[in-house]
Amino acid sequence: MSLLEKINKLDRRYIYLLAWIFVLFPLLNPLGLPIPISQDARTWYNYVENEIHDGDVVLFTPMYGVSGMPELFPMTVATMKHLLTKDVTLIVVSFWTEGPLVFNILLTQVDPADYGYVYGEDWIRLGYVPGSETAMGSFGASIHNTVTADYVERRPLSSFPMMDDIQTGEDIDVIVSFETGTPGTPEWMRQFQAPFGTNQITGCIGVSVSGMIPYVNSGQLKALMPGLTVSAEYEILLDKPGLAVAGVDAVSTSHLYVTLLVILGNIAYFMTREED
Amino acid sequence: MVDIAVWTAVFFTLGIYSILYRENPWYRIAESVYLGVAVGYAVGQDLKYIRDQWGGQWSSSGGMMLAFFIVMVIGVLWYARFNKNLFYLYRWPLAIVVGTGIGMALKTVIFSQFLDQIISQANTPFFVAGDLVQTINNILVQIMVPSVLLYFWFTGEIRDSPPMKVVERIARYTMMAGFGSAYGYTVLTRYSLFIGRSQFLLGIPPNPADARMAFYVIAFIMLASMIGYDLFMKKETPEE
Amino acid sequence: MSDVLRRIEIPIALTIIATLLQVIPYYFEIPALESTANTASNAVLIIVACATFVGVISILQVHGKRIQRQTEGWYYSLLVIGFTVIMSVTGLPIPEIGLSVNNTVYNWLFTNVQTPLGSTMYSILAFFITSAAFRAFRARNLESSIVLVAGTIMVMGNAPLITNYLPFIADIALWIRSYPNMATMRGVMIGAALGSIALAVRTLMGIERGYLRGGGEE
Repeated sequence: MSLLEKINKLDRRYIYLLAWIFVLFPLLNPLGLPIPISQDARTWYNYVENEIHDGDVVLFTPMYGVSGMPELFPMTVATMKHLLTKDVTLIVVSFWTEGPLVFNILLTQVDPADYGYVYGEDWIRLGYVPGSETAMGSFGASIHNTVTADYVERRPLSSFPMMDDIQTGEDIDVIVSFETGTPGTPEWMRQFQAPFGTNQITGCIGVSVSGMIPYVNSGQLKALMPGLTVSAEYEILLDKPGLAVAGVDAVSTSHLYVTLLVILGNIAYFMTREED
Repeated sequence: MVDIAVWTAVFFTLGIYSILYRENPWYRIAESVYLGVAVGYAVGQDLKYIRDQWGGQWSSSGGMMLAFFIVMVIGVLWYARFNKNLFYLYRWPLAIVVGTGIGMALKTVIFSQFLDQIISQANTPFFVAGDLVQTINNILVQIMVPSVLLYFWFTGEIRDSPPMKVVERIARYTMMAGFGSAYGYTVLTRYSLFIGRSQFLLGIPPNPADARMAFYVIAFIMLASMIGYDLFMKKETPEE
Repeated sequence: MSDVLRRIEIPIALTIIATLLQVIPYYFEIPALESTANTASNAVLIIVACATFVGVISILQVHGKRIQRQTEGWYYSLLVIGFTVIMSVTGLPIPEIGLSVNNTVYNWLFTNVQTPLGSTMYSILAFFITSAAFRAFRARNLESSIVLVAGTIMVMGNAPLITNYLPFIADIALWIRSYPNMATMRGVMIGAALGSIALAVRTLMGIERGYLRGGGEE
């Protein structure tokens, strides 16, 4: 069997082993590869910096569970840190079962109190609301009826003066959503953007990016954070390198590996086809 | 001192990855535990929501309490699916949930996914003064989007007409490029998830440092057991 | 009486009422109807939450049978049932006896078992996608070549190592995303929107009954 035929018929476990090496090596020995800043990162940064104003009511929604954490958690942490430098009213809610637990983990990295935010006055957690799009619609129609008590102190929302003027989706200025699938941006568009005209920025996993582009193109989505690489660029813009920057070397080497495999596979295919 | 929590997490992580070598008992253990924990997890979250709802508007008056009772009775009807004679009752809560979901989506889908997209498409100018590249791009969009739509709408004999053959070709090439783009982002997502797990296994901050030792030890044990078993079986059943 | 209750028209009527209850208040300002619709949507959330034990019972049925018959791998079913019961019981909302979503065991299992398992399950696809890229991603004809080239450029465009030294790759990747991909997804989105409206109308007319199937009767 020629070398090319051997390559064509390579046991897939060697491919897996090389994938491990291409990912583990830069994590063990950081390469410090340069990270050019893309337009996506700049648009996201500029929107949070310049379009979200002091006094705005921001709905912060981690719409993902543990499966999405590696890709979405870094951008969630970085955006939270960015928002906390402003004087906004932050409402944290999730329509994914594991959302509250993801936010618990976020609080071990970012404490709003360090930025002068007081729970119950400047920010509030509403926990998880089951029901997917129905829950989002219900939430937009009446926040106080959909979520009866806050997640932390278990007090009625009406006992928080900050919630007096926040009754429906009309009172939300911006939605900052991090999501891995359904419910997600299409549901937000239907239940908040269409009826209330609420502005929205979305951070999503790479798999969801294709479906978001029409919303970006039409202006329905003001900014999009597509995956780990752009999260790393955003961390650099914020001058707060974190989880994403730590992992982006491995993104580079793994993607280089996939590219080389595709090229090699096609070369082997064409050369063996010619021999036949 | 061994941190049981970290070693447990590493064990289950490597248990799943062990499938990359071949099907094996480590993987089956991890898979079985995952199924059990995932199903049980949602129970707590859902029941907490019901209890919280009772503490809100539903206990505010006699009428609302009665309504809550009726809602709970309808909710119990889900379990009629497990009885052949009472299966028809299962359709009632299903019908209400499906109907509400359809209504929620139907009222605004025409705006967010239809009108807004068409308006954006119509507002794309054919000609952009002083920018040839953007002009070409806009013309391409004005050709590609209708082609894709027509490709989905018109099927059957009409596809054989010469104009539709051209439209079909443009649509297929457009969609192939789109799917290629989707593939590229899929690779990013999957590798990002793998990198996240690798950072945990290597104990890279903020992950616990203990994880690295656990990774080396447990990986060695799992690999040694699987490779050792394979070598043993090879000896027992020599190839013909 | 039972025959009347079995009629398929009842769930169809419920579907129609539930749908119209959400749609009509959006287009017509009728305060009483709007308030009813809000209460109804809150009620539906409770109904959805009530279904939480369906999965648990299904698991117990399937894996219970395996244990009973001692079929191949039945001992794994013991693990499934064991962990289902532990998570379900510790998560019950009875804080008075220490059970709730804040229960130590519940949170420990979530953090140290479910979190790593869930993340790893999805991450393993990275290997399969790599193997598929090597073995199946071939430029056999023009269409597959377009997918191959677009996909490879996209992969390279997401790697800072490549885009830093070959910035034109990032520009091409952005072009593919913003134009052919956008055109594809816009076409799919509009088509899907029309399809969902058609499906909703069929459901409202009682023609679409797929969601009501099952149970060995119509």
